[in-house]
Amino acid sequence: MSDRQFVIPIGPQHPALKEPTSFYFTVDGEVVVDVEPRIGYNHRGIEKAMEVRNYIQNLYITERVCGICSNAHQTAYTGAVEEAGGIEIPERAKYIRVLFHELERIHSHLLWVGVAAHEIGFDTMFYYVWRDRELVMDLLEEISGNRVNYAIPTVGGVRRDISKDNFPRWHKVLDALAERTNYYIKVASTEQTILDRAIGVGYLSKEDMIRLSGVGPNARCSGVPCDTRKTAPYLLYDEIPFEHIYVDNGDVLGQVLVRVLETLEAVKICKWVLDNIPEGEIAVKFNPMQKLPEGEAVYIVEAQRGELIHYTISDGRNMPYRHKIRAPTLGNIPSLVERLKGGYIADIPITLAGIDPCFSCTDRMVFYDEGKDRSWVWDEEQLRRYGLEWYKK
Amino acid sequence: MGRGAATQIRIGVVQEMSLITTLIAALVFPGLSFILTYSLYAQWIKRKAAARLQNRIGPLHTGWQGILQPLADFIKLLVKEDITPAEANKPVFNAAPLFIFALPLAATFLIPIQSITNLWAWDAVASFEGDLIMVLFLMSITVLAIFLAGWSSGNLFGAVGATRVAFMMLAYEIPLGLVAIGPAILARSLSISRIVDWQVASFNAFLTAPNIWGIVTAMVLFIGAVIYTVCLLAELEMKPFDMSEAETEIVHGWQVEYSGKKLALLNVGHDVKMVLAAALLTSLFLGGPAGPVLPPVVWFIVKTTFCVFIISNLSVLFARFRIDQLISGAWRYLVPLAVLQVMAVVAISGVI
Repeated sequence: MSDRQFVIPIGPQHPALKEPTSFYFTVDGEVVVDVEPRIGYNHRGIEKAMEVRNYIQNLYITERVCGICSNAHQTAYTGAVEEAGGIEIPERAKYIRVLFHELERIHSHLLWVGVAAHEIGFDTMFYYVWRDRELVMDLLEEISGNRVNYAIPTVGGVRRDISKDNFPRWHKVLDALAERTNYYIKVASTEQTILDRAIGVGYLSKEDMIRLSGVGPNARCSGVPCDTRKTAPYLLYDEIPFEHIYVDNGDVLGQVLVRVLETLEAVKICKWVLDNIPEGEIAVKFNPMQKLPEGEAVYIVEAQRGELIHYTISDGRNMPYRHKIRAPTLGNIPSLVERLKGGYIADIPITLAGIDPCFSCTDRMVFYDEGKDRSWVWDEEQLRRYGLEWYKK
Repeated sequence: MGRGAATQIRIGVVQEMSLITTLIAALVFPGLSFILTYSLYAQWIKRKAAARLQNRIGPLHTGWQGILQPLADFIKLLVKEDITPAEANKPVFNAAPLFIFALPLAATFLIPIQSITNLWAWDAVASFEGDLIMVLFLMSITVLAIFLAGWSSGNLFGAVGATRVAFMMLAYEIPLGLVAIGPAILARSLSISRIVDWQVASFNAFLTAPNIWGIVTAMVLFIGAVIYTVCLLAELEMKPFDMSEAETEIVHGWQVEYSGKKLALLNVGHDVKMVLAAALLTSLFLGGPAGPVLPPVVWFIVKTTFCVFIISNLSVLFARFRIDQLISGAWRYLVPLAVLQVMAVVAISGVI
């Protein structure tokens, strides 16, 4: 490090970060030379807690892994459990799950556009986008009763039915959302101050992105076609007509474009669901005491932030032997570090926000001995003993 | 108003000037008390206008439509805990807010607002040949005080914010000074009061005998006013030029370590600076406190409120620029435009 360079710590508490995580930026004047990420501030023990609860209780825990993609986590969890247990869900339930999956995508992407505008100091756009996001929030509240944590998917189907009488009104709301989204596409691609802050900022090429294995809109903005809904369809996505959105800008503008275009596609999917939903049962019966056969299952969904993996192992009881969640942000951190290098300090917040990070969903804990190159995990008994020792002091 | 008065310092009303009227002018009206009250009102205008444009409501509960909210915020900050960081250079850190508050306040004394002995005349608290230079000087010195405030706080973000303030000054200082010279050349005086007098005289002359040169002069001065407004946005550290306090990047930059009384002073200092900016814009380009029917102070309030409204309008329309974009933009467009404008003014002043 030359004497012109100094280290700026950003985080664990910083206004650009909504959650605790830390980055050490080595800067030369206003230019970032090196970045050292340090994740792992938030341990909630969710995976461990799931091992001592039955499959129905675990629904509510998975939903609380993340506040924004709560429904995506539940969709993945129920999918994994149903696959492990060999449970077939009714057609109508699949439609309702898709509806919520896409409504949540609309709300999350609009939220992100607002946050991105705020990060580049364009608060007016932030207020407008979040005002229009209320349309979809109201819709979600009307259908599920909640603005976040909708608690719709359950093992064997969904918990609430939707009524045909409301469809014309919901179509109108979706049309309004599409119209507003088109307006924001126009603003984001013509307003010069936004373009100045977005074009070429945090650029990463397609080759680098494949090498660093990014996921979600972060990868699709660099031209990697990796939408799980297209590459490994689940639920109804092999029947639904929708575009596979990816652009080759590779910068923040590409990230904005991917997300607003996906919002439009999500509106289209919701309208398709409302038009094609069949009559029938919404769930098959699943008893909390019901035991699953021995086995394992992986279920991958395309959450708003990217590929979300739930992996469950059943040992024949009514609770999982092990449930592993891989949140999309973890896959995006290596590419984020590459994006930040060579940029300006002023571009750090927007580049960070560009991957739509959710660090609390990502953080896990293992012990690692650097000298012996050995890693291990504590089991429940060791954790308990450590907790007792800690509070004895 | 002979040219011979160039070195004579006029304080308050020229004729009979007692100590009491001077004190009243300096401390009550149109000096200290009036400017402080007015700057809190200007803050309310700014917040309310920005809020309505951003589809919000803005302050609502304290007083009529929240008009007392800035005062309530000020009092609240006064009773909050005042922390000086251990790492800070204490004398500089403690003194800087005083300067940031006092320097723009001193500059407003040179702006003609209202004579206290004659309801239908205007006069500044202090006015002398060259007070325009004095105002520009006080504004530059304020930037130095801001730089010291950030630098002495012992905080990394404070230091980054301080260097950004200094860099921004490189961008807007030159065009700001250049376009302020334009009206001075036309009025053939460096006194703000004389510039106002000249504007009123030439406007009345234009009304009695309209000619093409009056329109050309107005257009050239309008370009100057536009450049001046852009530079003032940077001077006031308002969006899109708020990179020195950018809360998402450097956590309010140079202000980051200030709290309690010092932060209250800094906030009022910013409002006074905004009033000063609006008053300068009014005095140099909009005919100052002159106007028909109503007394000068009413016209001053109407015109400066309009300027504050324009400034807060502009500040919600754009995303924040990066510091390098501001500097290259200023030197690529603003400085050449300002030079051209001054050349046009010189040419016009040769004709009329």
